[in-house]
Amino acid sequence: MSKELRSNFHEQLTEIRDGIAQMGAGVTELVPRATQILLDGDLEAAEYVILGDNEYDAKAVELEERCFSVIALQAPVASDLRSLVSAIKIIADIERSADLCVNICKAARRIYGHDLDPSLRGVIQKMGNQARVLFKESTEAYLNLDGPRAAALHDMDSYLDDLQRQFIQVIFESHAAGTIDLQVAVQLAVVARFYERIGDHAVNVGDRVRYIVDGWVPEHPYAESDNDPPEIVDGVIVPAGQS
Amino acid sequence: MMQATNQPAGQAQPPAALEPAASKGAHPMGPPLSTQALFARFQRNGAADALTGTHAGVIVDAHLQQLFTEVRSGERAGRIVELQGPPKTTLSIDAMPIPRGGAVATIDDISERVRIDSMRTDFVANISHELKTPVGAIAVLAEMLADETDQTVINTLSTRVVEESHRAARTIDDLLKLSRIELSHHLDDEVDLRAVVGEAVARGRMAADGHEVDVETVDTVDRLWIRADRAQLASAIGNLVENAVKYSDEGTVVQVSIRRNERWVEVMVVDQGVGIPAADLDRVFERFYRVDKARARQTGGTGLGLAIVRHVANNHGGVVSVQSQEGAGSTFTFRLPARLLGPTPEVDDSVDRSYSAGVQPASDRPRAPAETTPPQKVSMPDE
Repeated sequence: MSKELRSNFHEQLTEIRDGIAQMGAGVTELVPRATQILLDGDLEAAEYVILGDNEYDAKAVELEERCFSVIALQAPVASDLRSLVSAIKIIADIERSADLCVNICKAARRIYGHDLDPSLRGVIQKMGNQARVLFKESTEAYLNLDGPRAAALHDMDSYLDDLQRQFIQVIFESHAAGTIDLQVAVQLAVVARFYERIGDHAVNVGDRVRYIVDGWVPEHPYAESDNDPPEIVDGVIVPAGQS
Repeated sequence: MMQATNQPAGQAQPPAALEPAASKGAHPMGPPLSTQALFARFQRNGAADALTGTHAGVIVDAHLQQLFTEVRSGERAGRIVELQGPPKTTLSIDAMPIPRGGAVATIDDISERVRIDSMRTDFVANISHELKTPVGAIAVLAEMLADETDQTVINTLSTRVVEESHRAARTIDDLLKLSRIELSHHLDDEVDLRAVVGEAVARGRMAADGHEVDVETVDTVDRLWIRADRAQLASAIGNLVENAVKYSDEGTVVQVSIRRNERWVEVMVVDQGVGIPAADLDRVFERFYRVDKARARQTGGTGLGLAIVRHVANNHGGVVSVQSQEGAGSTFTFRLPARLLGPTPEVDDSVDRSYSAGVQPASDRPRAPAETTPPQKVSMPDE
């Protein structure tokens, strides 16, 4: 009897994990799609993505409720508890990233009819590619519970941050050269921020994966030094290198 | 082809808990089912297993779950799944029930088929457009001419008739050139690649004159003889340089260089122009494919330039490739196999050593064998 109960419990964990992986894979597809919509000014596809967001929201709520019910009914411990608590946070990150893709599509509608310089388009494409890579990596790191892969996301994200700064510079140049209106320039700056945020959410997912795998948490005082164990001085834990 | 098979858990109905999720059907993310929950045995072959643990695998699995639920009715079911990439991938997933219970699904990567299909459709649409536009214009202009008495208007109209006829003639010329490339009997001619590049650069400079684009050669070897069709090579490299000039912004530089290593001889044309959107990058070598239709019209090209370049490269057993970022420029690389190297009359060691790593010293350089192997012909799917 108890064995059957546990197998049911593990099945529930697998179902939650599959559901989250599906959401993550969905957003991994959504990012390049939103980028193409923005570059092509494809209003029909934009509408489709915007309407489709409800499904991500519903799915997020459903998965979260499953997590709560498993925690309440099965009283998980150790890595099971870590994976469920992390799941709740990861779901929120993925759901928010889907919203950001929707925001990119809405921005595409706002700037519809305005031509973008090739240099702007080039950097948008690069940001879209990098954001997709980050999300793909975070989804696959979660799926395979791959700590080292998750840990690499911080550095991959810094490239996306660089692209965002580069993009803002190109926006200034295009606006100064008079090739885009101020309104378009502002929208594009916001779009750059959306990509940067998608990257941050992917990094959050990665951090949660590391927490599931070995209990690493970014909030710990020693987390800054990336996995360096804390030192113990006079019986007190201090971050590495500060003793 | 990838294959996954399943055997249901003995009972005809899926577990009750799965029913509501399965009935959603069109949910893009699929129902949150675990494979184990639905099937007693679920086997994948190696190719299908390679997808496990990837985001594509998750998407495919979600569709598989839905399809296996659908085939329980006894009918086969299938769907087309598009993955955004890059590279963009199209998968065809088909599931069918098998008589002794269970079901089998095949996952087919049909990206290439889809690409060729769209290429074919676009080609037919484009060629009729390219040929009909000038002919239609000539007909209308001629009708107007017939009723016109004002000499100034007659002059303007007849100039336009001449322009449009030239445009049609250029398109037809290029089409004929394309079809002739494969019939070439001169693939064993000894050609001085440097001279061919030099001529192309000179022509490019002339074309650039009114446009303030500088064309320069970088790092070019003194002599490099290869066995090739001279006219074809001249037209291919000429097209690359002219294209680079056409799509460059004023005040920028087009760089042309020749490089070689043990395997390849390559001509690189680098510009700092408008660049090519990622979505169009793998299509620019198609006949009549235009990235920006409005701009292409201004530049007066026939839309066949890059198709000719690719044909010439293929015909010589080589390959042409492009890297590009919008707004930052493009790099076209035209590669020929080094076995096409012809007899080099004199070798200038100093020049050779200035080349990048991987270049053999002049003395070891492979001399063309007396009986040169005929260039490998790569058949293109669209031909």
